[in-house]
Amino acid sequence: MVAFRSHDTTGRTSGLLLRSVLYALLALGLIVFDKRYDQLGRIRRTLSIVVYPIELAVTSPFEGWSWLRASVTTRDVLRAENARLRAELRTDQFQLQRLAALEAENGRLRALRKATAGVGGKFLVGDIMDVDLDAFRERVLVDKGARDGVYVGQAVLDASGVFGQVAHVDERTSDVILITDATNAIPVMVNRTGMRTIAVGTGEPNRLKLPYLPITTDVVKGDLLVTSGLGGVFPEGYPVGTVGDVKRDPAQSLADVDVRPAAAIDRSRELLFVWLTRK
Amino acid sequence: MTRDQRIGRTPVVLSAFVALTLAIVPLPRVLEPLRPDFLVLVVFYWSIESPRAGGLALAFIAGLAIDVIKGVVLGEHALALVLTAAWATHLRLRLRLFSVLQQCVTIFVLLAAYQFVLFWVDGATGYPVTAWARWLAPVIGALVWPLVTGTLSRLHER
Repeated sequence: MVAFRSHDTTGRTSGLLLRSVLYALLALGLIVFDKRYDQLGRIRRTLSIVVYPIELAVTSPFEGWSWLRASVTTRDVLRAENARLRAELRTDQFQLQRLAALEAENGRLRALRKATAGVGGKFLVGDIMDVDLDAFRERVLVDKGARDGVYVGQAVLDASGVFGQVAHVDERTSDVILITDATNAIPVMVNRTGMRTIAVGTGEPNRLKLPYLPITTDVVKGDLLVTSGLGGVFPEGYPVGTVGDVKRDPAQSLADVDVRPAAAIDRSRELLFVWLTRK
Repeated sequence: MTRDQRIGRTPVVLSAFVALTLAIVPLPRVLEPLRPDFLVLVVFYWSIESPRAGGLALAFIAGLAIDVIKGVVLGEHALALVLTAAWATHLRLRLRLFSVLQQCVTIFVLLAAYQFVLFWVDGATGYPVTAWARWLAPVIGALVWPLVTGTLSRLHER
């Protein structure tokens, strides 16, 4: 261990107090401005240009490794995968045919009721970068940013369900806050009954909860929750999760309902950014 | 004083960049709360070793970098880091005479103060993080402090 062996004896602390107060005030000013007026996007973006190369340097070995692994897989493995994908495509296409018919029918029915049509959307695929942001917040960094048209508040899905929402946008990257983050809430609907409520994140990777359901509500284990589309952020009808344990304590007025997210929160690599366009 | 002038910007900037990289290298989920705040330790080191080479400007910029990376409100880590780095600078003459153990204890106190400012700003801006695991950081930081000083002192004292 190396002790600090020297002596800058003069101890120039004279200006230290003043300077630290100045810097601290500057930082406090930034906090207030960022929180209150939300005007610091520019500064944040400029700073993120400095940080981006570091993020890239951290994530690239992992990408290189997966590229290497992909390029040395044997023919048999590829053939098996190909067969599996074909089978999947077949079933998906089959279901898609039905979907087209259903969508058309839905459109006709909605037209009859003169209701606004559902959401059609534009999608963009982004990859999660191998970068850890914060141990105590459920966030990921994705390699699509402002220059790809991503905007703050945009809905993000993965292959199996709703994943999260864009929290910050930089030039080439964006922070996505997961639906399981403790600060996140998403308007949902119980698919079986049409009951609308709000699902709130818990900060744990694979659990959401429904804190606002009265104990008399008809909700049972296994119910599918889909987005209700009410907040105007998430498109309607995408799976959010399935109901897990429902605890009804007669002493409480609200039930305690666990939800398992449909999206593969800690396994997904590719995400979909969704643009809402009202037809 | 004389030694202060010998230390250029290069080792300071270099060490800050390495520490920033270490701050975002992916770890298994279980280990994440155990990750030491290397950048904070590096800033403390330069505040103690040579306030001139880095100083409060380094603390401020490093803090902003953490803010941008973590996507929290801008200025949060900058505030915490500036305050504690100023404290470390104030204590530096005593710290240099301390034994390893005494240094580690002091660093623990500084890191706890750092964490407390973050905790306070988190709460004040409406994103409280109440996980108990965040208070592990000062302990971890104090434990790896000898490693950081050992590495960094080799960087500029051939």
